[in-house]
Parts: sequence; C-alpha cells; structure tokens
Amino acid sequence: MKPLDVRLLRYSRAARGFFLGAALLAGVQATATVVAAGALTMVVTGVLGGSGGGGAGTGGAGTGGGGTGGGGFAGVWPVGSWPDGWGLGGWLGCFLAAVVIRSLCVWFWEVLSTEGAIRVKRDLRAGVLRVVSDRHGARDHTSEIASLLGPGLDGLDEYFGRFLPHLVATIIVTPILVAAVWWADPLSGIILIIVLPLIPLFLALIGMATASVQRRQWDSLRTLSTAFLETVGGLTTLKIFGRARRQLERVERVTDEYRRATMKVLRVTFLSGFTLELGASLCVALVAVSIGLRLVSGNMTLTVGLVVLLLAPDVFAPIRAVGAAFHASTTGTTALTEALALVSAPARDVSAQDALVSRVPVSAGSEAGVVSGSGVVSGSGPGPGVAFGPGVGPRSESGPVSGCGPDPVRGPGAGLVVRDLRVVSAGDFPLTQIDLLSPLDLDVTPGQIVAVVGESGSGKSSLLAALMGFRDATGTVLLDGHPLILGTAAARARMAWAGQTPTLVTGSIAENVCVGDPTADPALLVRALRLAGVELDPRLRLGPGGSGLSGGQAQRVATARAIHRLVSRDGALLLLDEPTSAQDDARERALIAGLRELAAEGRCVLLTTHRDALAAAADIRVELAVARA
Amino acid sequence: MRETNAQTHSHIARAERHRGTPSGERANTQPTDRATTGPATVLRWAVPSWHRLLPGVLFGILSAGCSVALLACSAWLIVRASEQPPILYLSLAVVGVRAFALGRASFRYLERLVGHEASFRQLARVRTRVFARLLELAPDVLTGRRRGDLLARFVGDVDELQNLSLRVLQPLVSATTVLVLTVIGMALVVPATAVAQLGCLIVGVAVTILVQHRIAAGADTHIQAARGEYQAAVVEYVQAREVLVAFDADRMAQQRIAALEITLARMIRRRAVASGAASAVMTVVGAASVVGCALTAAPVLIAGRIDAPVFALLCLIPLAIAEVAAAIPAAFAGYRFARASAARVGTVMDGAVLAPSELSDSAVSSGSFGWPGASNLVEPSSGIGASGPVPRSAPLLVLRDVWARRLPGSNSAALCGITLTVHPGERVHIRGDSGAGKSTLAHVLVRLLDYEGSYTVAGVEASRIDPAQVRSRVGLVEQQPWLFNESIRQNLIFARDTATDEELLAVLDTVGLGTWVHERGGLLAPVGERGGLVSGGQAQRLALARAILADFPVLILDEPTASVDPPRARALLRDLVRSAERAGRTLIVISHTPLEPGLVDRHVTLAEGRLE
Repeated sequence: MKPLDVRLLRYSRAARGFFLGAALLAGVQATATVVAAGALTMVVTGVLGGSGGGGAGTGGAGTGGGGTGGGGFAGVWPVGSWPDGWGLGGWLGCFLAAVVIRSLCVWFWEVLSTEGAIRVKRDLRAGVLRVVSDRHGARDHTSEIASLLGPGLDGLDEYFGRFLPHLVATIIVTPILVAAVWWADPLSGIILIIVLPLIPLFLALIGMATASVQRRQWDSLRTLSTAFLETVGGLTTLKIFGRARRQLERVERVTDEYRRATMKVLRVTFLSGFTLELGASLCVALVAVSIGLRLVSGNMTLTVGLVVLLLAPDVFAPIRAVGAAFHASTTGTTALTEALALVSAPARDVSAQDALVSRVPVSAGSEAGVVSGSGVVSGSGPGPGVAFGPGVGPRSESGPVSGCGPDPVRGPGAGLVVRDLRVVSAGDFPLTQIDLLSPLDLDVTPGQIVAVVGESGSGKSSLLAALMGFRDATGTVLLDGHPLILGTAAARARMAWAGQTPTLVTGSIAENVCVGDPTADPALLVRALRLAGVELDPRLRLGPGGSGLSGGQAQRVATARAIHRLVSRDGALLLLDEPTSAQDDARERALIAGLRELAAEGRCVLLTTHRDALAAAADIRVELAVARA
Repeated sequence: MRETNAQTHSHIARAERHRGTPSGERANTQPTDRATTGPATVLRWAVPSWHRLLPGVLFGILSAGCSVALLACSAWLIVRASEQPPILYLSLAVVGVRAFALGRASFRYLERLVGHEASFRQLARVRTRVFARLLELAPDVLTGRRRGDLLARFVGDVDELQNLSLRVLQPLVSATTVLVLTVIGMALVVPATAVAQLGCLIVGVAVTILVQHRIAAGADTHIQAARGEYQAAVVEYVQAREVLVAFDADRMAQQRIAALEITLARMIRRRAVASGAASAVMTVVGAASVVGCALTAAPVLIAGRIDAPVFALLCLIPLAIAEVAAAIPAAFAGYRFARASAARVGTVMDGAVLAPSELSDSAVSSGSFGWPGASNLVEPSSGIGASGPVPRSAPLLVLRDVWARRLPGSNSAALCGITLTVHPGERVHIRGDSGAGKSTLAHVLVRLLDYEGSYTVAGVEASRIDPAQVRSRVGLVEQQPWLFNESIRQNLIFARDTATDEELLAVLDTVGLGTWVHERGGLLAPVGERGGLVSGGQAQRLALARAILADFPVLILDEPTASVDPPRARALLRDLVRSAERAGRTLIVISHTPLEPGLVDRHVTLAEGRLE
C-alpha cells in the first residue's frame, strides 16, 4: 500500500487543506507534549527534593533535579524550592494547561480528519459520478460502482481518521520530540535516532510483501457484494428453480474466502504492528535502563532522566499508531486508487469524442428524402432512391387518422436525415453482434412515422442509442437541416427518447413523466398521459426502480415521459424503442393513434418494433439485417 | 375429510424432511423465531462463543497489564537509581522493564490476531444467517427494490456486527480488569491515592460516555440509514443514467445525491465532534488523576510511609491508566453503533423493511386477507390427494374462487374469484389486456403470491404445503427473466446440474439459440451484468431454455414473446409446445397477443381479474 497517493493532493483541494491543518495541529501538539512532560517532571522532582530536604527519611533523595534546597511545609503540602520559584502550584498549573491544550488538539484532530474525509469523499464521488455520466457506450457495472462509491470510499474514514493524522504526526511530532530528548540527553537522542529509521524500513518491507494479498482481499470483498446483489436480483428465478439454497452455499463460500483472505493479510499486517510496537517498547526500555545506570553512577540528574523517560514513549506513539491503523485503512486506499484512476481517466474519452466530431462531415441536406444504403433493405416503401414525403408513403388501414401534410414552416430538408451512420464499439466494450456495423442511410420527414424492423440483434436499439449519443457513431446526422454532433446536449435538445426498458425512478408517476421539466404546464402532462394511454393516477407513487407497476404500465409511463418532453420542449424527433412490446392489441392501436396525432403536428417519429401491427401502421418500414462482423 | 388432507400434508412434509429440505423443518420453528429478531437477538448472534472470545480477552489483559507495568517499572527504576544504590538492587527492575516491553508487544499481537479470527468466524456465521433469512423471504416483488440499500445493509451493517466482539466486548473486559487490578494495587500502597485515581476514572469515564451519548446517540442510529438512502440514490442514478441524460435531468439527480450527502455528512460531523470531545475529556482526566495522585501521595511520602521511587511510580501510573481507560468510552460508542446496525439487520430479518409485502417461504398460508365476502375456508378439495397416485385424467390444477392481490399490501384485488381447471398435458392460453391480472395469476400458481380460496395441485391444497413443493411441479418463465453475470452455461446449469454440455446445446437449439451460442463462442460466453451482453429476445430464450431443462410437469410462460420478433415467436412457441408434448408437460401460455391456431387446446380470457 502506498501510504499517500500524490494524485490525491493534485485532485482534491480538500486534501491539501487537510494536510495544512494537520501540520499545524501536530506542531502545537508536540510543543504541548514537551511542556507537559517537563512540568510533570518538575512536580515530581520538586516534591521529592522537598521531602528530601525536609529530612523525612527517604534516604538520599536529595540528588534529584534542582530541588536540593530544604523546603518547608505549608500544612500538609510540600512547598519545596523550585529553581525559578514557580512553586508546586505553578508547575501543576503549567502541567494542566499543557494537557488541556493537548486534549484540545486531540479533539481538533478528530474534527479535522472527519471533515477531511467528508470533503475528499465528496470530491471523489462527484468526480466518479461525472465520469460515469460522461461515459457512454460502455455499460458500467452498477454493483461495482455502488461498491466503490459506498463501502469502498467509506473506507477513507479510517484512512483519514486514523492513518493520515498519525502519519502527519510521525513526520512532525516525532522530530520535535527527538530534538527535545537530544537537548536534554544526547545519548538517549542517539538511541532514538538509530532505532527510529528502522521502523519505516520495516513498514515499507511489509507493505511490499502484502500488496498482492491486499489486492486479492479487495477482489474478494467485491465478489461478495456482487454475489449478493446478483442473488437478490435473481431470487425469484432461483426460487422457481428451487435453487435458492445453493446460492446460500455460494455466499457462505465467498464469505469464508473473504475471512481467509483477510486473515492472511492481517497476520502479516499485524506482524508489522508487532514489529513497530516491539521496537518502540524495547527502545523505551533501552533508554530507561541506560538512564538508570547513569543515574546510579551519578552522571545524570533525575530531572533529565524523568523528562526523557516521559518523552520516549511519546516519540514512538505516532508511528505505533500508524502501524495499528495500517490495515484498517487499506480498504480505503485501494478504493482511493481505483477512484483516482477513474477520475483521471476521462482524458481518453474526450480525445475519442474529438475524433468523432472531426469525422462527422457537415453536409447539406440536399439528399433529404432518400432511403438507400448498403446493408439496408427498404421494406414497404416504394423502393430505394425514390423520394417520398408524408402522405405519399404507403399507409396501413389503421394508420392515419388525420391529415398530416408537411409543415411548411420547416421547409425542404426538414426532419431527420441520417447518412452513412455506423455504430462503432465504444472504449472497452467489446464488439458484439448487437452493434450496428453496416453504414445506414435514413430519412424521416416531419409528419412521418418510420418503423425500423429486423430480427433481434440486428441493431435497432443501437441505432436509436447512437442518435441519443449513448453509442459512439460516425456519419452525418441532420435535424431540420442542422448538423448534429451526437452525444451533446445540444443534439438531444429537440429529441425525445424512450428506451427498451422503462427505467422509472422513485417518485410519483407525474414526477417520472415530467422528469427534466418539472415546471411544465400540467395540461401537457395530461396530454402526454392520454397519448401514451396511461390511465393511472399521476399522483401514484412508485417504488425504487419504478416498482409497483406492471411491465405494460411501466412501458406506457416511459412512453408518456418521452411524449411529454417532445411536446413541452416542442421537439422535432420522437425516438421509441419497442414501445408496444408489452402492450396488447387495443393498447397498441391507441398508441398508434397517439403517435399519428403527434406526427400530424409536423414531428418526426422514429421507432423500432417487432410487432406487425405497429410496423404496418408506420409510413415507412426500414428493415435491418443482422450485421456480420 | 379435512383431517385426511392434513395428514397427507404432514406426510409430504415429513418426506421432504427426510430428503433434507431445510424449509420443511423451519416451518415448525419459524413463528417463535420470527417474533424475536430484535437488535438484542442479532447482537447475540454476533458474539463468539466464550472459548473463542476468552483467548483474546486474556491476551488483552496481559498486554494492557504489561504497558502499565512497563511505565511503573521504569519510573521506579529511574528514581531508585537516582538514590545511587548498589547496582544489584536494580537488576530485577532492569529485567522487568525489558520483559514488560517484550510482553506488551507480543501479547498485543496475539490479542489482535486471536480476536480478529474469532470475530471473522462469527461474521461468516452472521452473514450466512442473514442471507438464509433473505432467501426465505425470497420475494415476488423484489425486482426494483432498493438494491443499493440492500448492498449497504448487508456489507455495512453485518460487517459492523463484527466489531461487537473486537471493539466492544474484548477491550471492555480487558480494560476493566486491568484498571481494577491496578487500583487495588495502589490501594495496598496508599489507599488515598487509589481513591483519588478511582474517583478520577469514574468521573472521567462517566462524563465521556454521557457527553458522547448526548451528542451522538441520535446521529449513530441514523447514520447507517442515511448512508443506505444515499447509496440507494447512487445506484438508482447509475442505473437510470441514460434516461436522466436523455431528459436533461442528470444535473438534478446529481444535486439530489449531493443533498443526501450533505445530510449524511452533518450526522458524521456531529459524531466526530462528540467522539473528539470524549477523547479530549479522557486526556484531561488522565492529567487530573496525575495531579490527584501526586497530591494524595505527597503527604504519605513526607510522612515517610513510602519512599521516593514508590511516590514517582504512583505519580506516573495514572498516565498508563488513562491510556488503558480510553478504551471504555470507545467501547460504549462502538456498542451503540453495533446496536444500530443490529436493529437494521433485525428489520431485514423480520422482512419488515426489505419486503413488507412478502410471503415467507415457510409460512403456512395465513388465512384471511380480510375481503368481505371472500371465503376464508379452504375447500376440502375431494380426496384425490389422499388416495395414492393421481389418475392421468384427473385435473392437475384446480382453482376455485381464487382471490389475490398484486401486492399483498394493496387494497384492491387483482384476481376476483378465478375458477379454472387444468388437466395433465393440456395447453391453455390465458389472454387478456395488460393489467387484467395475468401475471398475478401466474405468481399465485407458483405460490410466489398468497391467495384466498382454493387452489389444489394434484389434489393437494397448495397453501397447506411448502411453496417449494408447489414450485417443483409448476414452473414459471418470468416476464423479465433474470440472467446472472456468469457464462451462458452457468445460467442454464442450475436448472439441472446433471445436464451435459450436449444436452445444454440441444436445449439451446430448441429455443433457437443454437447458432447464436456458436457464434458467441460456446457455452462459456458471458451474458454480462443483468444480461447486458444479450438482447431482450435472447434473454427470454435463455430463460425458456432454463425452464425446459428443469423439466417442470407444469410450465407457465408469462408473455414469452414480448420482445421476440413475430416470425421467430411463432416458431419458438411451436418448438415449445412440441417439447411440452414430448415430456407430457402441461403448458399455460400467458400472452396478450393471439396465438397461432392449433397451438393450444383452449383459450381463456382474463379481464379485470375475472375469467370470461
């Protein structure tokens, strides 16, 4: 484990603030420690000196400290004689004041490190979420991101709360205390200076030895959390197959592996703690014995001896604490490394996007209205290469309800023009058959409903996803004559989309439908619900993930959501991915009527479907063949 | 008649028990178990048995004792040395200092190792116990539950329980023991000093605990809940990312997450202030006891009843004691934290939060749903079940006046008095509009949902037997089948673990996935997280393949062709019906789309919860 990742300092301002505050606190704390040790020594030696001077029969106590003078008693309290005349009360007060300052330091440490953890976690989480929302094409592993943003980064509490403060203290407090000891007694100072460097050396050695084991433990933790999520998600399936018990065994096994992996790490990390503690204890013992021997021979005063004895354990306290906190913080640092790797990665994505943009030629929409292309078979249209507008294309009996002439305002070249569109594999997401590989030309003029049909896996969803910018694609796309840079908010501004899965969120149906436009006219909500055929109370609250609705209901709400965006923002293009896959015939007919109504307003409707009725109701059918890589 | 039935059921239950189905056993013990899953019960699970706990405690006592003795011994050594006695008088102290130094480190190492091992073993036990309970609750309506919250709960709360022995019990017992022994030792030398030390200790620990409690008790309890809510929001955000981006709601969702984070941060900050204050108070009290001991011991020194080294020892021991005593308030804070986690784990175990509307696997039907007019009585459904093998012509599934809710908590009934009989080998098509109750009916048939009225499987009332038994006969292909993030093979094999690769490939051929699997690189190709690498239609086919492998006598297909293209859907249904006929399988196809003529024996229409 790297004790400190430099990228953290670069990335997070909060982290820099934390270290500044920590350094200040450490300085104050070290000073208070020295003062407290000195004052306590003066109290003890003063009393001993006082009692010795009083001849109370303690046998030769008079050698200690400066307390050689014969003090008198004031009542039962020894007054003694202190060199600077502070008296017992003065030194006791000094001691207490120093300890109070030290305790305030302890308090501030806790507050500071918590604050640091909170802020750094906030920086990192925001960064990771930003990366997650920027990245398209690749499907992120929900549970892994949840594990990273949740238990993973929360491990930083330990790192900031216990590890880093002690690390800072080791760097600042320890040298100050060693200097104080050196000043009081050079020999003890030399002993400390010889022993101290051995400890980081051991830390480094042990850290190197455990790095791979720790990596495995983290993987094990993640397997555990993924196994749990998976099993919970598939509980119904497992129950149906009577296999739930087996999953229990699996979790048992994973948990046991987790224990074994962790114990393996702990045995080594505790060994490092043991080495530190042993080094510290033996060093204190060494100092104590050497002081004792020099006192016997009269080469040293008791005051110096006591001060050094009191300071010696404090010299080692921070580094011992580092050892103790070492293993507790590894979860945090591993997550930290991972998060930092994620947030410093987007450079690659940006360059990929630049490349995409540069590859998109800006061409005029002169070819508008042409359906052609390699690998694309025009379905029920009159044939490739023939331009036709709305009202010219073939209609099924159930299709048109009202007149839908072209919107004169939008003029020629209006609507969606797609030329040579290729969906490319994105980033680390491997090329799969789902990706649309053949270049595609497609036109949707205002007022038209175009249905994309084709077998499963022919790339229907990919086409819509590419238009939304969820898949990387090359080619030319124009909407009402304006070239679009796919994947930008500007390109999506006049599009509304409903994907294959409804993906509703916690909240009321109205909140779900009006997502993104919460202040839109309520009349639009009513209209969107009507057009999509949602007959539920818009105030009905949905659970997480939109639970509480049947598949068909959820699908209609998702369609209503897209329609709402279309009408509230006066969009030009409605993209629907399999809008009736979970609907019965009557519902499907109702939706077709709704789509006709929207198209009649001069909007383009592009949808994918497997259903014959919906495909037949469209003005044009575009059939995609399964692309072979 | 009813008694006969009951006997039959108990026979079945006993037979199941002999086969080692654990749920059969639980049916008897569950009710008492359920009532007591409070935090105290959960905490008890987290406590390792005494013979595992004891070594850690003993090593803890020795380690803490050594650190007190080290300071005492070295203080005595130095002050005694300053009196310049013959060196011989010091040799014992010199040995002591070295021994205690060695002992402190060694015992500490052993304490941590033994303690962690014990608590990890216990953790494994708690985890599987929690998990077993989750499996029992195995919910019908779990899809879309707050998976992020569940994750936080399982990994976070259960792991927190591990700290009960490690950070609460072990330090509390060893610290208290060492403190008591030290104070007794002081009392033997100077009683007044011991009193001063004890007073400071009690006041200090009490004040710290009180301060901590006042500031943080509320926060501790709510921190985990807030953390769960926050993590659920993050998961929902990650899952609904595309939708949020598509609707320009991305920023708003991020702001909501930020707001939740601020709430969480405020609680954590409060706790930090409290625990910081507690450590500060302990430091001050440590100093106060040094002063107290010095002041009480000084007159005794002057009176000549103790010598200088002993006086120094009495003055410095409080420093070591303060260090040991700091473990006590920390342990109390740890206890509160563990208790909050235990309470949350307890609610999960009771099924109250996780699945408020769940039917427990082992719970025998609870009887009335409370609808007026709905019959409470389980019809004694003839003696077929009791009379040996069921004749092939006898009805297989019989529903009489069955009522059910889509979610047990909801007010309205999704099924209102369904009466339906299905004979062995029959192929029934149930059609109806969306929302007509088709899926509810399917879930009742596989006992994922409770019902009222009478539903017999081969003559046995379904609510009287373990739902798992019903499910071994009646299988379901869900509308949204779940694919595990494993290989294709792993997604199939659990349906029948004895199946060979050839059999798996043959089944995949049956559902029209033969070439697809071949192109994907065979059975070991991954399906991705939540089936992310396969399309909706392919996922349905895989789920169908799974059901065929499991070879249920009755198979329910819930909208099997919802996302499959029409030409293949027809072919697929034809394949299915053929394989159903081959194995004498009874088939119930739920679909809103009309089926090819001749595919099924009869059609039944469901509308607004009633059969027409």
